[in-house]
Amino acid sequence: MRGILIALALATPAAADTASVVQTHIRPGYAAFAEAARQLAAIDSCDPVALRPAFQAAYDAWMHVAHLALGPAEEDGRALAVHFWPDPKGSGWKAQRALLAADPATLTPDAMASQSVAARGLPALERLLFPAEELPADPCSLTHATADDLARIASDLNAAWAGYGDLLLTAGQPGNTRFLTPDEATQALFTQLVTGLEVVADRRIGRPLGTFDKPRPDLAEARASGRSQANVVQSLQALRALTLALNPDSPRTLAAFDRALGLAEALDDPRFDRAADPQGWLKLEILQQAVRATRDAALAELGPALGVTLGFNAQDGD
Amino acid sequence: MRRRMFLATLAASMTPRLTWAEVGRPALLAAGKEGDTYTLHGLTATGESVFRVALPGRGHAAAAHPTRAEAVAFARRPGTFALVIDCATGAVAHRLSPPEGLQFNGHGAFSHDGSRLMTSEVVAETSEGRIGLWDTARYTRLGDWPSQGLGPHDIKLLPDGRLAVANGGIRTDPVDRTKLNLPDMRPNLTILSEDGSPLDQMELSGLFQNSIRHLALAGSAIAFAMQWEGDPAEAVPQLGLWTPGQSPILCTARPEDALALKGYAGSVAATGGRVIVTSPKGGAATIFGLEGAPLATLYRADLCGAAALGTSFVVTDGLGAIWSASESGLTPLASGPAQWDNHLIAL
Repeated sequence: MRGILIALALATPAAADTASVVQTHIRPGYAAFAEAARQLAAIDSCDPVALRPAFQAAYDAWMHVAHLALGPAEEDGRALAVHFWPDPKGSGWKAQRALLAADPATLTPDAMASQSVAARGLPALERLLFPAEELPADPCSLTHATADDLARIASDLNAAWAGYGDLLLTAGQPGNTRFLTPDEATQALFTQLVTGLEVVADRRIGRPLGTFDKPRPDLAEARASGRSQANVVQSLQALRALTLALNPDSPRTLAAFDRALGLAEALDDPRFDRAADPQGWLKLEILQQAVRATRDAALAELGPALGVTLGFNAQDGD
Repeated sequence: MRRRMFLATLAASMTPRLTWAEVGRPALLAAGKEGDTYTLHGLTATGESVFRVALPGRGHAAAAHPTRAEAVAFARRPGTFALVIDCATGAVAHRLSPPEGLQFNGHGAFSHDGSRLMTSEVVAETSEGRIGLWDTARYTRLGDWPSQGLGPHDIKLLPDGRLAVANGGIRTDPVDRTKLNLPDMRPNLTILSEDGSPLDQMELSGLFQNSIRHLALAGSAIAFAMQWEGDPAEAVPQLGLWTPGQSPILCTARPEDALALKGYAGSVAATGGRVIVTSPKGGAATIFGLEGAPLATLYRADLCGAAALGTSFVVTDGLGAIWSASESGLTPLASGPAQWDNHLIAL
């Protein structure tokens, strides 16, 4: 019994600052993304050259919230509708080809909203603005419809974070059935940090890395728009910011972030093309190890400081 | 000496064994962790704990005797032992060890009359599946049957006494549990007769990397929950329904929810024409109809235990909450210090 009481006492948040995360990280981040997506959709031109800077700005803004995959982001697959990647079967492009062949008049907002998540969002726009081959039809209408749809989802996400942020802020209060204790809110945010680092290591770096014998630079994220390396850098920056908001007193974790960020910024390999040669591959693998070391540091330092761990069952395959 | 031993054995077998009614009539069994203590709880339909006994380590609640207040908990893998817990006293009534060279593999099922316990097992060296048979009078080993596949995990007794076996298809290293055959694994769902003869078998062509691991009875069908060992970016069904003799139905989520379970199903339960499949890794559960149509996706961190009570679902999570789950959402029933383990067993 004594053991249980001590464990409960330790479970009280020591330095958790859910309020700081919601108010300085999540809400401003989603507001900035909504604004960037709105500006992209507001451009009248169909010229890819005119649209690309706003596309890049919207993508940058998304990278600063993409790791916050809870609540409004997971419900109705909103985050997937913004950023469906990876798409190993190419289902997004298949669906887009059909849309390109269709009558532009059918590309209404409702029709776009009912499209598969694979055919929408930033990767879909990227395929239209940075086509790998000549497009089978004039993409103008589909480009605008996709950008408008993205702006709508971004606006919905931003609006939904008002209510969901309140749920995080009132964790443990009567009537809050989403977060039954303050610790649950802290754990949810801590999980986003750890999962976010896993996504960087396993997907953003791991997919182009492949194996030493079979590197796959062709699988790099946002390769067409030249963002593969930038996405790694920006997600690490965003996750570092989340760490600071959760607990600024995390020296080991922040040092691990700085090492990984230094390696990521020094790569000078925007599309991870150099994964194809042995030296480039090793550099990318060293970066992957540094990101995994950052995850381990967060688990060892930040988790105990916040009084939370990862899921009891999520960590235990059965 | 011999006589004394005989008397002791006789005394043990004559000790009155309590029924579930005598330990508070729990509706559910769940293992949990409270601080550093591992426990097994009997829970009412509303999530109240009616008994709580200590477990010597983390174990999954796996099977409850149909009448006697006895539960079987399996040690986590590699499964060198299982414990029969006397739920009245918390005492370890029996400690079961598989024969030399075999390991328990996570689940067990009692015969309807409670006279026999069946356990999923593997030959440690090869992962070849066995169903171990135990006489529950004194939990003596009776023998074993081939499970008709590699790595059997969950087993469920059908109303007529046949046994459904989820052969996960994965060959693992006997010591460190490394998965050894992912590129060419072949899971199956097998039906065995009451004497262990194979009656029917189902394989999912084209989805061989989807390990069939957990089972629930859904009317005349068997709901099978799967764990995807292929490319995690590929969205594949985590649930299927099979009526022996017919083609299986795959339960495909809406595209926007297709990755919600992260390729991993932790538990499955079925009632009232619906099936729920949970994923602690995804922090989500999806409810499907018996024709395979998705009805709802529910979100809650570390959700895993799932059981059917009457026509509703009860689910548990690793944060300590117990919920009623339906298409309209999760309703909290109770919460406390016990972090609930993988499975929730309906009595």
